[in-house]
Amino acid sequence: MKHLTPPRWADWLLERFVAPHLLEDVQGDLHEVFYKQAEDAGLANARRSFVWAVLNYLNPFFLKRKPEAYSKPTNTTMIRNYFKIAFRNLVRNKTYTAINVSGLALGMTCGILIFMLVKYHLSFDTFHTNSDRIYRFVTEQHRETISYRANVPSPLGKVFRNDYTFGEKVARIATAEDVVLTVKEGSEIRKFKESEGVAFTEPEFFDIFNYPLLKGDRETALLDPNTAILTEKMARKLFGAADPMNKLFRLDNKVDFRVTGVLKDLPITTDRKSEIYVSYNTLKQYNDWLASDDAWGGINSAMQCFVRLRPGVSPDEVEKFLPAYVKKYRPTNKNVHHYKLQPLADIHFNARYGGVITKTNLWVLGCIGLFLIITACVNFINLATAQALKRSKEVGVRKVLGSFRGQLFWQFISETGLITTVAVGLACIASALLLPFINDWFKVQIAVNPLADWQFMLFLPLLTLVVTFFAGSYPGLILADFQPVMALKGKLSQQNIGGFNTRRTLIVGQFAISQVLIMGMIVITNQMRFSTQSDLGFNKDAVVMLPVATESNVLTMKTLKSQFSQIPGVQTVSVCQSAPASNYNVWNTSPNYDNRAEDEAFSVSVKAADEQYIPMFGLKIVAGRNLFPSDTAKEFIVNEMFARKLGLKASDEVIGKALSLNDGNTKGTIVGVIADFHDRSFHEDINAICITTAPDLYASYALKINSATVQPTLAALEKTWSDRHPDQVYDYQFLDEHIANFYATEDLMLKLIQTFAAIAIFIGCLGLYGLVSFMAAQKTKEIGIRKVLGSSMGQILWIFAKEFSRLILIAFVVAAPVAYYAMNAWLKNFIFRVDLGVGIFISAIVGTFLIAFITVGFQSIKAALMNPVKALRSE
Amino acid sequence: MRRSFLGEFEEIVLLVVAACPAEAYGVTIWEDVQQQTGRTITMSAVHATLYRLEEKGFLSSLMGGATAERGGRRKRFFALTNAGVQALNDIQEVRSRLWQAIPPGKFQLIGFKN
Repeated sequence: MKHLTPPRWADWLLERFVAPHLLEDVQGDLHEVFYKQAEDAGLANARRSFVWAVLNYLNPFFLKRKPEAYSKPTNTTMIRNYFKIAFRNLVRNKTYTAINVSGLALGMTCGILIFMLVKYHLSFDTFHTNSDRIYRFVTEQHRETISYRANVPSPLGKVFRNDYTFGEKVARIATAEDVVLTVKEGSEIRKFKESEGVAFTEPEFFDIFNYPLLKGDRETALLDPNTAILTEKMARKLFGAADPMNKLFRLDNKVDFRVTGVLKDLPITTDRKSEIYVSYNTLKQYNDWLASDDAWGGINSAMQCFVRLRPGVSPDEVEKFLPAYVKKYRPTNKNVHHYKLQPLADIHFNARYGGVITKTNLWVLGCIGLFLIITACVNFINLATAQALKRSKEVGVRKVLGSFRGQLFWQFISETGLITTVAVGLACIASALLLPFINDWFKVQIAVNPLADWQFMLFLPLLTLVVTFFAGSYPGLILADFQPVMALKGKLSQQNIGGFNTRRTLIVGQFAISQVLIMGMIVITNQMRFSTQSDLGFNKDAVVMLPVATESNVLTMKTLKSQFSQIPGVQTVSVCQSAPASNYNVWNTSPNYDNRAEDEAFSVSVKAADEQYIPMFGLKIVAGRNLFPSDTAKEFIVNEMFARKLGLKASDEVIGKALSLNDGNTKGTIVGVIADFHDRSFHEDINAICITTAPDLYASYALKINSATVQPTLAALEKTWSDRHPDQVYDYQFLDEHIANFYATEDLMLKLIQTFAAIAIFIGCLGLYGLVSFMAAQKTKEIGIRKVLGSSMGQILWIFAKEFSRLILIAFVVAAPVAYYAMNAWLKNFIFRVDLGVGIFISAIVGTFLIAFITVGFQSIKAALMNPVKALRSE
Repeated sequence: MRRSFLGEFEEIVLLVVAACPAEAYGVTIWEDVQQQTGRTITMSAVHATLYRLEEKGFLSSLMGGATAERGGRRKRFFALTNAGVQALNDIQEVRSRLWQAIPPGKFQLIGFKN
């Protein structure tokens, strides 16, 4: 009978698995059946059915143990206790909790937002297949200085494709921006103004870039002239819900297109913003010069050329062949053009070629985010160590009852973890609420979809973990190190906790950075005020700029001008190429003065305008006279800078001299000289200027209006303009707004630095508050004794003031040179700039003092007013 | 007390325990259930049901003395409690009421001999 046993392992499994209070009879029953079967059906069968029966017991019902009367402590019991105690502590010290949570939440909000921003920028154009082999042709123009253009002469792409085999695919794309589209539907005509414009695109473009086509054939969609493909979004905008295929639209009242394909909406993270792609061979109907195969003469900012190189071809190799083109096609020009290849991954980040944001700036942002999180953690450490003394009894009892150092440490970490988790939750809510503003400020479109974003979902727990350990470790170690005897006798004092100097250093660091930011803020504000409010040399207030419609001729402009001037509220009307200060519509050319043999080495900015221009903008004539009204005869007015650049002693010497522009195509006499004015932003020096009548260049009506009746005047202007040009889109801009736009980057910078300064100061103040509570606790006895011996309240307050004045002064000594150096470098961007005066530094330190004293004031006064009996009787 | 309902299998097991002439324990109940229903049932199902019925208060159990034939392990003997008897009676009553409510001749209509 001895060999008649069920499989040992099955028995073992059963014993492991089935709850002890059920095991005996279950096992007994199974064995009984086994023996019975072994006799009836044979051992093998019995063993098989035994195993099968045992396996059937492996379910939760049998696993569940009977609860025991006296529960054994498990791993989770202590942790539950930690959280319970932590929760009670946090609820008891509400101020402390609020300060910690808000500080951490603020720092982490910045951290989260900056993380999202940086990630957003890093994800640009990374979704194309073989994106490491995609390059853009760019041009370096070597003149007095090197200038960088993201464009090449239009024929370059074509000849490169034909001459060399380096490129797997080569695609040219010419973007016409600010266009008007018209869609005719029956008798109804709808107009759309598209600022992102229309891109004339070679079909290979869609081989290089991964923009999938939903409808239409990728191979043939853009082969024929006058064909177009739209994104879904654009198709909905133009044609509503109807099927856009084979629908027609008209571009700038010039060229018609038929829709042959629909693109999937472009991802947000791509630098190609155009949503309308039309066939490249239509370009000659739109802009003959740009489409020409001989247009080697100039570079148009509309034209870009992309290439996907063959595998294994390095860009350096290709660049060696490019200079040959300059020799071949531009034999008469000086060796100005240098064609290069720019990797796709560089396009978003290279400011030289119009990149959106540089990697350096992203790094700076990242560091600021990191810094803000670190300061928040530092505060936490400050406050937590200041609070540690209150916990000494608890630690003492725990140690006496057998807690290890490790357990106490983990207890504190779990407490920190609780605070951090709450803070992270708050930070997430705050980030979600702030995201629209961030999108607005940075002109980005970060979507609120954290769940679909694994990097973000990884970042959050990681942030929580790192912050918990960074903030919780030091206070945790201090708490865990308390001597139980000392702690229970109440003999512990702040001296035993130590680290006071560490905390001082941290505070100094925080304040140094706050002060750098404050100084930066003051300097940028000053410079912005200087740029936008100082006298530019012309009158920019209450000037409205209206566009000259594309089909206008001399007559329409004259009619419209006289119609405008009849509107009450309009004081003067001028028609011109651009305002005195403008970033676009400026024509730079090399002048030929007084029949000198060679063109001058400098370039002159030509501003075409009528005779009303100079009086209307209040430009000061220093010699000669204003232009005569004329449509043909060429008269020039130049500025003093022009005369100076010519090397003349007196500016009136130029009057009556001949001037020839544009290789002799525009000739005339100089009749007047005007005083210099700022024709560009303050980043740039004043250019040599030349004003002349040239109706074919006019692009804007400039109207001086009465500032008391702006709204009715604007309405009347719109009506007059739209009646004259029913198929165009009306648009207006105030000149001072346009000028303010020169400083959009600085404006963003100012907003940013204001925000960061505010946050840094706030966090710094939290830290200061922590330190002063700490000091107040530490000096309780000292203050008591001093008061008993007759100190006045002022003297006691001075104890605190002394400490903080010292810290802020040290911080200032650190901050001032850093701020000076940084702001000096920043101001170098401006030719016309404010001085870095002593005032800036004085106001920064006074401001910091003020804020610091408000912060510490309450705690110090409370400490100073305390009854000395309370402080002293405890011994 | 919250009233516990009996599932079909629970009812069968309970009835088998009630019908058992000798002292009922795991193996005998298991064998009887298979015999009465003609289904193949795993022993674990029977055990689980027995313990659940005990939790619900329809059965009580008592460990017997040490035995020789099953490695010395004791048997757990099950017996009906009052609540168990009550529950079986209730079920029986509901069933017979429903049976009587069936209109005469109804089963003939759908092809059954009543």
